[in-house]
Amino acid sequence: MALNPAFREGAQAGLRAFIPLSVGFIPWAIVTGIAMRAIGMDAIESMGMSVLVFAATAQFGALPLIASGAPLWLIFVTGMVLNLRFVIFSAAIAPALHEQSLARRLVSGFLLTDAAFAVLGPGLAGARDPVWRWGYYLVPSLYGWLLWQGFVLVGVLGAGFFPRDWSLEFMGTIALMVMVVPMVRSQPMLVAALTGGLGAVFLRDLPLRLGLFAAILLGIAAGFAAEHWRRKETTE
Amino acid sequence: MIEGVWLWIAFALLGATTLITRGSFIVIGERGRLPAVVQRALRYAPAAALSALVVPDLLLVQGSVDPVNPKLIAGLVVIAVALRWRNPWLPFILGMGALWTARFAGLA
Repeated sequence: MALNPAFREGAQAGLRAFIPLSVGFIPWAIVTGIAMRAIGMDAIESMGMSVLVFAATAQFGALPLIASGAPLWLIFVTGMVLNLRFVIFSAAIAPALHEQSLARRLVSGFLLTDAAFAVLGPGLAGARDPVWRWGYYLVPSLYGWLLWQGFVLVGVLGAGFFPRDWSLEFMGTIALMVMVVPMVRSQPMLVAALTGGLGAVFLRDLPLRLGLFAAILLGIAAGFAAEHWRRKETTE
Repeated sequence: MIEGVWLWIAFALLGATTLITRGSFIVIGERGRLPAVVQRALRYAPAAALSALVVPDLLLVQGSVDPVNPKLIAGLVVIAVALRWRNPWLPFILGMGALWTARFAGLA
């Protein structure tokens, strides 16, 4: 199949933006693989979970529940809450993908990650050609899925060999920071980031990590409010 | 532990939460178009969300705020490096280096 040139250009631009940061998630994938083995799942079950769920936060949150034999409804509710932030991301990215077929939108939804949203979202919003946008979103997202599953497998098979006291999972936090720094170029963005970050610290004791969701909403509201105040000041 | 077929049902339910939340607005498509004001507000979502994931990891040590800890020092190094240079690998190298150095220096 010959690739549409706009699709290919989009894919190349997307990969250029996505690849450097994707490296930061390799340690997370390995740690996720190790964690699943650590509660007693075998290699096939661990990979099955990784392929079906594809959400590190929800997987980490569900593991203690699975280990303790919690009821299925509680596992479902916990997964919903831990994934709740993606409703916001989905709404933000939906206009860029609305020309695509239902099947493609389902795939796009399943592949939406924090990293894909943060790195690809701005480029998607600025592009006019739907074919270019589809390549720009799909190809890096598929690459991210493959990279993730590959290194989860490394963790699953190598559980026990990796030194835990190196704190390699901190590379995931570094990757998130590298994404957020260039976003904070305006005062309202800084307000949104600081409110979201400190909000998550102060609301951390809410049950089921709902504090994370509340903090994101607070951050958005604060950024929006800061934007309004600044506009008022400049017009008055 | 949940075992056998029930374990796979648990995976399927968790997979459903992934698809429901991430798919929500993307799948609903046109009919789910948000008002322009909400779309403008959502421009702040990435910065707020990423920061909400990062800051607790930098400030909290075993559940309570610790203003001087190796992760926070490493985090400040990462931010300084990311502001100063465009090199994609440098934040990882200097950030992990700062973390290990701070730990080695006894800040753990």
